[in-house]
Order: sequence, then C-alpha cells, then structure tokens
Amino acid sequence: MASKILKATTNLTGMAVSKDPHYALKLLYGKILRDLKKIPATATYRKYTEDIINTRLGHVESEANIARLERKINCGQIEEVIVQAENELMCVRRMAMNNVWEPLASQAPPNQWKWPIA
Amino acid sequence: MASSLIRHFARPVLITGKGLFSAATQRSIPASSILFHRTQATATPPASTTTTNAPAPNLIRVNVEQRKALVDFGQYVAECLPRFVQHVQMSSTNELEILIHPDGLFSVIAFLKDHTNAQFSSLADITAIDVPTRTYRFELVYNLLSLRFNSRVRVKTYTDEMTPVASICDLYDAANWMEREVWDMYGVYFTNHPDLRRILTDYGFEGHPMRKDFPLPGYTEVRYDEEQRRVVIEPIELTQDYRKFDLSTPWETFPKFRNAVHDDAKQRQESKTPELSKPSTGSNTENKK
Repeated sequence: MASKILKATTNLTGMAVSKDPHYALKLLYGKILRDLKKIPATATYRKYTEDIINTRLGHVESEANIARLERKINCGQIEEVIVQAENELMCVRRMAMNNVWEPLASQAPPNQWKWPIA
Repeated sequence: MASSLIRHFARPVLITGKGLFSAATQRSIPASSILFHRTQATATPPASTTTTNAPAPNLIRVNVEQRKALVDFGQYVAECLPRFVQHVQMSSTNELEILIHPDGLFSVIAFLKDHTNAQFSSLADITAIDVPTRTYRFELVYNLLSLRFNSRVRVKTYTDEMTPVASICDLYDAANWMEREVWDMYGVYFTNHPDLRRILTDYGFEGHPMRKDFPLPGYTEVRYDEEQRRVVIEPIELTQDYRKFDLSTPWETFPKFRNAVHDDAKQRQESKTPELSKPSTGSNTENKK
C-alpha cells in the first residue's frame, strides 16, 4: 500500500508530479516572506505579495488533501503553484535589488507619449 | 488495486448560460487597491462611455468586465512599481498599455513574468516605432500574454539612436530574434544580448530600413554582372524621374490638427547653433589684427 496517493501525471510535458507539495510550498513561502522583509513595509508590492502568500500558506497548512488544496488555491495544478512560488521568490529578490518602491525616477520628456503627434 | 487509488486530476466545472466552462482563474487584486488618489503614474479614464451591454445601433459593444479587470490590473502595476511606471492607459479596444522609463525595462517585464498576480509567461512581440520629431525617437513596444489569466498587456519605453536598452533574453527566449530584428530595422542596441546581429537585411547592408529617414527604394540595387559573373551591388538608379505628388486638399479635413507638428529634435538643434557661432566671430577679429 502506498503511504501517499499521488496522481499519475500532471498532463504537462516536462512537469513531474511533486512527491511532497506541502513541504515544497511551505519552504518556498517561508523564503518569500523572509525576503520580503528586506523591502520597506510601506511598499505596496510588499503588502500585496504578503497578502497573496499568506492566503496561500493558510490554505496549504489547513488542507492536507492535494486535490482539494488545488481547488482552494484555484490557480492550476499544485506543481504549477510550486513553479509560481519559485517565480515569485525570484521576483521578490529582483524587486528588492532594484528598489522599485521608490517614487518615479524621472518623467518622460514633454510630448514623448503624445499620440497623435500633431 | 493501486490503479484504483490513483486520483484523477479534478477540473472544476462552472456551468454558465453559454455552456460548460472550467472555472476561469481571476487575478486576486484586493478591492482596497482601487485607490482613487493620484499616483505619480496617472491613469487616463476609459475612452468608451457605454456602461451597459445593451446593443445600440452603430456603437461597439464594450466588454465591461474585461475592461474593468484590465484597468484594475493597470492600477495595481502602477502602485507596485512606482519607480518606473510613468503612465498607464487603456485603448478603446480594451488593451492595457504601461508606459515606463527605459531604466526599468528589465524590472518591469520581470515583474510581469514572475509575479503571481501577473504571470505573463508568453512574449508575443517586440517592435519599435520611429517618430523622428521626438527627443527619444524610438518607442519600443513589448506585447505580453498571460495564459493563466487570459489577458494581454503592452509595455512601452523610449530610446534614441545612441542609448542602449536592456535585453530581456534572460527572461524570454523569444526575445532573441525579436531584438535582433529591432536592431536590424531601427538600430536600437540591446545590452547583454547573446548574439545581436542582422537578421532580415542582406549581408553587408548598410542602414536601418524601418527608420523614417530611410527612403522607400533604399540606396543600392543588386544585379547580376555578366563580366564579373557574380551579383554586384550598385547605387540605385531610378529609371524614371522622382515624382512628387501634392495630395493636399483645398478643404480642411482635420480641424483639430491645424497647428504645426511639435518638433523637439529641431528645437534642440536651434538652441545649439547660436552657441557655435560665438567662437568663430572671436577668431575673425584676431585675423583682422
């Protein structure tokens, strides 16, 4: 008897079925939340991302069944959710490096975005 | 035995009036983000004024939910990336455009690709527009598609002939050839591009054909030479005189565009020339002595 009931396939080429998605997601979300602390608390990016990640982390911790968890998160299969978490981690680190929360660096020259040009 | 225990992937099904659709994932933009205070990136109001979907004669039907979703998302991006987003606008055909400073190109596109609420994982196109009268004549256009949320977005920046722009080949493999095409056609240089060379023009072709100052027939023509027994490139030779057509009508067609076109490039040149004339007058007085 298998101790874990895994699905047969993700039906996506190149994406293997994850053996322990809860562990992977908790790990990634923990990393994201830790890296988000490097961004100032007033940044809207940090606020929204923390909301998203905390909601998903709540779902992951409360729901043990993978299929029901997928439906709760409602963003595709759990393996895709793991990929989204990895991408979000890269995004957080890049945003922290580039200081995106600061006010506008510089305005465009006048008439730069004017259309039609006359 | 074990096969009966394998669970099948459950696809949630939503029955609507039109038929069976799987529950479409929507972006979780928090309602509190719809702030109506002015951010530094200004959002222009939607052009269409129809608020209902009732068919009216001669009016285009506007998909109000799709438009609202895009407007909300545009505001969301402007709030998350205030350093680079200069302007957010919607076209009349429900297309979201985000206008950014060129320094922030890689960051903004990385945000749109990686962020959970964006997930624009597909790069549809990179193009450029040449408007010679502007200070930064080239306007770069990036079209992105989100498969998860079924939406598109356009990111626009600007640059001129000499200023390079960051390449996004590290994010999208498709950007490789697209940026090569922009380089070949317009002359916009991309830093960190793995292989920036010509892609559409002939080997040894000089010039950037899609620029507005490049003439329609070009500068050279090719023909097979019998004596040299190869194809030769020669300057162009028009067999008929260059014909100039005066297509203007005696009646005014666009009353809103009566004023002359704003030429920022010319104004800069005119401001420079009086400075250049000063040292030359100084040398003339010395010669007379």
